[in-house]
Amino acid sequence: MATSKKDAFYRYHAARLRLPEDKLRPIYDDELDGKKKPDDPFEVPDKMDVFFKYSYGGQSRFFREIFHHERLLGAKCPACGKVYCPPRSVCPRCYEKTEWVNLPGTGKVVAFTIQHYSTSAFVKKVPFLVAYVQLDGADFLMMANIEMDDVTKAKPGMPVKVAYRPEKSGSITDIYFEPLAD
Amino acid sequence: MPEVAIIGVGCTNFRGRHPDKTYFELAFDAAKAAFEDAGIDKADVGAAVYGIYNDFFQRQYQPDAFVHDYLGLPPIPAVRVNTGGATGGSALRIGYAEVASGLYDIVLVLGVEKCADCFDYFTKNPVPEVLRAILYTSDMTYDNPIGRTAASGFALAVLAHMQKYGGPTEEQMAKVSVKNHGNALKNPRAQSGMKITVDDVLKSPKIVDPFKRLDNCLYTEGAAAVVLASRRKVAELHPKKPPIWITGLGAALDWAFPGNRESIAEFHGCRLATKKSYDMAGITDPLEQFDLAELHDAFTGTELMSYEDCMFCEPGEGGRLIDDGTVWPGGKLPVNLSGGLIGCGHAVGATGLMQTSEIVWQLRHEAGARQAPNARRGLVQSIGGTLCAWTVSLVLERMD
Ligand SMILES: [Zn+2]
Repeated sequence: MATSKKDAFYRYHAARLRLPEDKLRPIYDDELDGKKKPDDPFEVPDKMDVFFKYSYGGQSRFFREIFHHERLLGAKCPACGKVYCPPRSVCPRCYEKTEWVNLPGTGKVVAFTIQHYSTSAFVKKVPFLVAYVQLDGADFLMMANIEMDDVTKAKPGMPVKVAYRPEKSGSITDIYFEPLAD
Repeated sequence: MPEVAIIGVGCTNFRGRHPDKTYFELAFDAAKAAFEDAGIDKADVGAAVYGIYNDFFQRQYQPDAFVHDYLGLPPIPAVRVNTGGATGGSALRIGYAEVASGLYDIVLVLGVEKCADCFDYFTKNPVPEVLRAILYTSDMTYDNPIGRTAASGFALAVLAHMQKYGGPTEEQMAKVSVKNHGNALKNPRAQSGMKITVDDVLKSPKIVDPFKRLDNCLYTEGAAAVVLASRRKVAELHPKKPPIWITGLGAALDWAFPGNRESIAEFHGCRLATKKSYDMAGITDPLEQFDLAELHDAFTGTELMSYEDCMFCEPGEGGRLIDDGTVWPGGKLPVNLSGGLIGCGHAVGATGLMQTSEIVWQLRHEAGARQAPNARRGLVQSIGGTLCAWTVSLVLERMD
């Protein structure tokens, strides 16, 4: 295959996949150079993606309070008194509409694990902590990241408090937890 | 007398990648083998159920419609089932209902999964992209953005279990890996047959505490198919091979936000589903009544927790059964003679049906070098989702 045709293949797919061209090279060279046999698997770059303008619906206020005011809310069921965080607009146990309540943002780690490996979106972040946190004032556990300098110092039962990122995106990663001092 | 029997099974090799086959081509191989095994023609099939987990893995939404087309089954009805790791078991459950209800006499239940066409161009490795595809099936608002993986969910449950009961230990988990990799050596379809030691497992790279690389199953490609027939049809067909009857079936879908559960240290839904299958089949003492079991060992620690959820022992005692030989080949209740997910591989939609096929071969005494002597009754457990949200439990028996 003429070099220009090969370049065109890589250029086309790099643009379409929004990847640097050098990440695709030289994976497809054997095919492009005509070195494959007629019945060898023919492989091509591809991807699936969809863009969103996603609405949080009845949970919107939870994210808006974090985003604008750095406040953590829970959702309290007026019937059973249970407080949900992550919040729910209705109580799945009683089918009652919940009410927003302020949470102090403190809690304790019920169980945590150190991720030494993760998806392609997080591979650069390892090692990091994923934990179930029992928030003060809430009745159920929240899965969350705990950020601390030495992840090996994490302990079950460790008290933690919510922290807010200075630059917010409107997603749940605007908050994380860190060990409560002393 | 039970209503539904398995009269044929077919299973492809489980391999890290089948670059020479698409998902529908893998499905074809399994279906053809199952029809031959059952001694039926595709024209005899009344309906189909397809277990396919991840649309990204196949690079296709609604892949079931195309499987159906490539199998030449139109226009008979078919549905697709997806319950994560439990997909194979769930497909079998729907097939069971279609036959037991009298709607159809013969139903094809087929599971298939690709995965390793996913590819991370930055690390030149499929795995990180496979994990990313899986994480689209976790909650997208609260769980997906924090970088957790399927392994970390199960790791948290195992850690909570260790805190509550003082076990299992990392050595006990490593023994499960040694057992299942070893069992797979006798399974020609298996991806990861290996003779390894406890030390090999403990020294393998950490993935997600407390799991090391050899505590985890690998993602795999493959297909497995099961042909179900009604009691009436079995009497009419007189199949050459002994029919294997589904005598117990239970299922559950627990809270998918496990923080909503009473406890994350046990899989309550799994226990309830298993109990339901036992009640239906009249199982009161599983250790005595089962000859073998295929459990969903996506991770070593969860196989040990399953011994407890399947009531082979009391809660907290799972580790004892790997220590005392009970679940090893030749033990009182061998678990995962196929190699399970750790040894044979985890081709998600196909996994539960591969494990069902294994029990069928074992009960027919066709399992060759890994045959459990005089096996008459076996258990298949299919679980999936965040911290075992879905469970399907099946009791299979030979009754001739
Ligand atoms: Zn309520």
